[in-house]
Amino acid sequence: MSARIDPITLEILWTRLTSLVDEAAATFVRTSFSTLVREANDFAVVLMDKDGRNIAQSSQSIPSFICTMPVTTRHYIAAFGREGMVEGDAFLTNDPWLGTGHLNDASMAMPIFRNGAVIGFAGVVSHLPDIGGRLRSPGNKNIFEEGLQIPPIRFLRAGEVDETLVAMIRRNVRVPDQTMGDLWAQAASCRHLGERLTTLLEETGVDFDGFADDVVNRTEAAMRSAIAEVPDGTYRYTIENDGPAAMPGGIIRIACAVTVAGDEITVDYTGSSDQVALSINTVMNYTFAYSAYALKSIFAPWIPNAEGSFLPLTITAPEGSILNPRHPASTGARGMMGHLLPPAIFGALAQVIPEKVQAAPGSPSNSFQISNAGTGDPWVLIGFVGAGQGASAERDGTAAISFPSNLSNSPIEAIESLSPFQVIRRDIRRGSGGVGGRRGGDGIALEMRLRGDEPATASVIMNRTRSEAPGLNGGDAGALALLQVNGETVDSADHQTLLPGDTLLIASGGGGGFGVA
Amino acid sequence: MSLQIALDVGGTFTDGIVLDTQNNRILVAKVLTTPSDPGDGIAAVAESLMLQARAPASGFEGKVGRVVHGTTLVTNMLLERCGVATALVVSEGTLDALDIRRELRYDIYDLHIEYPQPLVPLQARFAIRGRLGPNGEEWSALRQDDLECAAAQIASGGYQSIAVCLLHAAVDGRHEHQVADALAKTVPALPISLSSEIAAEIGEYERMSTTVANAYVQPLVETYLASLRDRLKTIGIDGTIDIMLSNGAFTTAEIAAKAPIRILESGPAGGVLSGVNCGLVENVNHVLAFDMGGTTAKAGIAIDGKPKVTHVFEFGRVQRFKRGSGLPAVAPSIDLIEIGAGGGSIARLNQLGLMQVGPQSAGAEPGPACYGRGGTEATVTDADLVLGYLDADNFLGGTMRLSIEAARAALARMGDRLGLGIEETAWGIHNIVNENMASAARTHIAEQGLDARHFTMVATGGAGPVHGVDVARRLRIREVMSPIASGVGSCLGFLAAPARSDRSWSRVERLAELNAAELEQRIAAAQQTIIAELAEIGLPPMEICWRLAAEIRYHGQGDSVEVVLAQHSVIKIDPAGAVTAFETEYRRLYGRTVPGGVAEVVTWRLAGESENMVRQYALAEIYAKDQSTEAAGKRRLYLPTSKTYEAVPVHERARIPPGTILAGPLVLTEPESTLIVAYPATVSILVSGSVHVMLEDNQ
Repeated sequence: MSARIDPITLEILWTRLTSLVDEAAATFVRTSFSTLVREANDFAVVLMDKDGRNIAQSSQSIPSFICTMPVTTRHYIAAFGREGMVEGDAFLTNDPWLGTGHLNDASMAMPIFRNGAVIGFAGVVSHLPDIGGRLRSPGNKNIFEEGLQIPPIRFLRAGEVDETLVAMIRRNVRVPDQTMGDLWAQAASCRHLGERLTTLLEETGVDFDGFADDVVNRTEAAMRSAIAEVPDGTYRYTIENDGPAAMPGGIIRIACAVTVAGDEITVDYTGSSDQVALSINTVMNYTFAYSAYALKSIFAPWIPNAEGSFLPLTITAPEGSILNPRHPASTGARGMMGHLLPPAIFGALAQVIPEKVQAAPGSPSNSFQISNAGTGDPWVLIGFVGAGQGASAERDGTAAISFPSNLSNSPIEAIESLSPFQVIRRDIRRGSGGVGGRRGGDGIALEMRLRGDEPATASVIMNRTRSEAPGLNGGDAGALALLQVNGETVDSADHQTLLPGDTLLIASGGGGGFGVA
Repeated sequence: MSLQIALDVGGTFTDGIVLDTQNNRILVAKVLTTPSDPGDGIAAVAESLMLQARAPASGFEGKVGRVVHGTTLVTNMLLERCGVATALVVSEGTLDALDIRRELRYDIYDLHIEYPQPLVPLQARFAIRGRLGPNGEEWSALRQDDLECAAAQIASGGYQSIAVCLLHAAVDGRHEHQVADALAKTVPALPISLSSEIAAEIGEYERMSTTVANAYVQPLVETYLASLRDRLKTIGIDGTIDIMLSNGAFTTAEIAAKAPIRILESGPAGGVLSGVNCGLVENVNHVLAFDMGGTTAKAGIAIDGKPKVTHVFEFGRVQRFKRGSGLPAVAPSIDLIEIGAGGGSIARLNQLGLMQVGPQSAGAEPGPACYGRGGTEATVTDADLVLGYLDADNFLGGTMRLSIEAARAALARMGDRLGLGIEETAWGIHNIVNENMASAARTHIAEQGLDARHFTMVATGGAGPVHGVDVARRLRIREVMSPIASGVGSCLGFLAAPARSDRSWSRVERLAELNAAELEQRIAAAQQTIIAELAEIGLPPMEICWRLAAEIRYHGQGDSVEVVLAQHSVIKIDPAGAVTAFETEYRRLYGRTVPGGVAEVVTWRLAGESENMVRQYALAEIYAKDQSTEAAGKRRLYLPTSKTYEAVPVHERARIPPGTILAGPLVLTEPESTLIVAYPATVSILVSGSVHVMLEDNQ
């Protein structure tokens, strides 16, 4: 046990390290080709200690990446051994189970050396521009349809590139220059972060292990004391979302039991639906990330995103369930289930700390990808449609917001300039939020007409067309979401062919109300 | 007409300077801002300046030919929501655009965040049919019945201002002009703000937000500027009145009154310009302007005399220091970062048991503990006092006596909780607040693809010179400058500002397939309006420097890069050259280009500007003092390197003759601020009056 660092030096170093990580993040965003990285912060930069514990994470990253990079890095340590690592090595995988839950995310880590020994790891995880496979389809039945799988590999050996590997990746993706470009940007960012850390440690003479212990201990203590205020007990809740037609009623169930015991919390998802042959399965890392997101938001939103905040949390789900599927489950549309976990946990804890939670949102977020099906100039339109946020004890839910992810809409003017669509309206669906003591937020109605003389193919991932967002503590459910072509309701999982003049309506659900009206 | 006056209304103080352009000497004045009627403070400052200038011994001659004014008025009106009842006319289907925003949350972990309410409620918005397409082509015509219906409702609704924002108006404003014509018939007295004129950029939400904000404050700003003119006349000042814009240039009061959204950040812009001017005088081409006052610190960069300008700004934040918690304004503004770190910032223990400094501030009441007005929490000012960085007897020119006992008591309370002594706690506060500022500046500079080490810091503001040298050291910046009269820094910037007029228009188009003839027509039309506007300011066409820039991206990307395509006199666009220019800039920022990427332009921006003005100010009072290179005394100062207190020389800045070279550590006192050099350094008093600090051994 090294000597504790005085609290002022610790605060300064923590600020410096967070600033280093944010600086690396800024550089990465600038050098990335992925639109999702630039516009939706779909990446994270993480500084870890020699055991892969998260010491500092970029401030802007979305919930999907909570704790995933440390888990991935510990897999690298187990597979390659710390003693076998040399300066300039970089490790890479996109394995959903070891990483973030879908193939599109590449998790890269580089060891950081000081005096010849590994003292930590720099990691960058990021949504690649493309990974091959079938595009964005919830209909993918197994992982082999979803694209190139990269097992944990030594991507760089002492800074040297394995050209065979690069050739393999390039051959398997649609935009090889951009995909490789982003991987190089990740490597550059890791290297840069490592160099900045070693410079800082040399300047200050600080022992990184001791510092890491202190950061972990303090964040852990803060989280524990926040949890300890909640009365012990097991609190249960079940929430549903649209599922495949093969399931009873076309509905998927997420059942959770949240147990508070002293200063620890366990969330168990026994009773949730089994894994399905659709890409909406959610691997354990992703299940953990969104569960931890909910618990951190409730208990200690102000704690920096470091390892200690998550140590008092245990998340379990039966193997073979939709929240802990076995290989070769497909997982590309993981968000459809993962985004349900915060409202499930909120629902359970509403029984004991109603003032800290909120009812279910009308999301998971809905998305569309529409492309030209004619012979003219190709175009692709990708977009997201938020929904109504759930109400909470103190306030009405916000209308038209992305939750629990954080994805921006595209301006109408951008949609019309990128595609032959005319947007008829983007309205708030007034009255769609659930009634209650506090009202749920209203959803959005986006209606577009196809102009021109060529057909288009639309793939729309919709949620809550069959199962509305439930209210809490007596509040009503929000209105159902709606997908229509020319006024006729259609199934969201199908690829729709749109003819010139056709009108597409994407109307997202309202959030649940809170309390009796 | 050789005198010019600059007047800056800030949150706490209203500052002024009068400049004699014959010899560049200045006189300064400062009063507390008068929020109920800012004109009172302005009049007091102007009267004080005139009184000083008219004194027989002043040596100031001539009449005041020009007043340059900057104000936080618009910022405050938008924050306090005290604008006028405004009606909004939009395209059918976009009535809710202000509520939907971009659907983003500005804090993902806080489940209970509040969003700013739109300035115009739903019942004051009117949708009309008729649409343009993305290339400005008419998809459907406007309908007379809709226009009449909207006009009738606006006429009977008691509105005082109208905003119009139609889809694709950034590409073509003709529908908006038709709407304006129709409204002018029914409600001729109401001012109308058109999005195609206020913020011609693609993205209906941001453009609508900007146009609405403009309309919301416009009648009040017009009245304010008219009454300002009257008020100055009664003091005997009847020169032209120019207004500082957020982009670091000035325009006439008449033009500013039409587009007040462009003066949102006029005061801070002046602060950066003052830094830029100080740098230009000494031929410094990478300037980091650092300003620290009572509640916040700001930093901005300028290269080759040109401040970095951003095109989207946020106003009316729900949480002052949270990005995204405000409403967007598309208006060129000097790119500044602001963090909650100032003299009044309070040190507290956070839930992790660590000390956090700011963003809470003790403000002026009760103020830091050492003010002796009832403040009990330790602040940055208390720490600075205990470290010897402030003088208890000479704070704000000796107008306020600080209580070192009260400061020590507050620091002792904080130190007890941390297990640290008073001095250690004081250094801890100073250390943390400086690190926060350095971190923010470091990230800001990295985001531009630049390296902090290449910059020279120019420190201004009451607390800027106290903290600047140590912040620079953390950024590995070796040189720090501090201009004379840095306490009225914004005003020094106002009088060095260029005249400028901007026009922009949008159209998504592949760069390689530009319609050159059409583009030339648009440029020519924009040039004509800029020439006319600058002629009003008094700048002849021959003296205009032109700058044509375009926002360019690879097809499919969301973010664009601003690329300067033509500078100085001739505006000619060659598509191949434009592609090369884009690739060069892209490579500079991102290290490489996108193989096979197709470059497309989104927005064009044309600016006409006067030449950079370099002002070598001379503080009039310098000439009245006895000059001496000798120290006026000694003070015990905390030196971070040795972690000890040592007695270091204290110099009175106004008495040191230019050309003097001193060795740090030392203290240089001024009435409004104190320059602290707590490290080994070479400190030179330049001919311009600025102080130059060269740190030794800054890694």
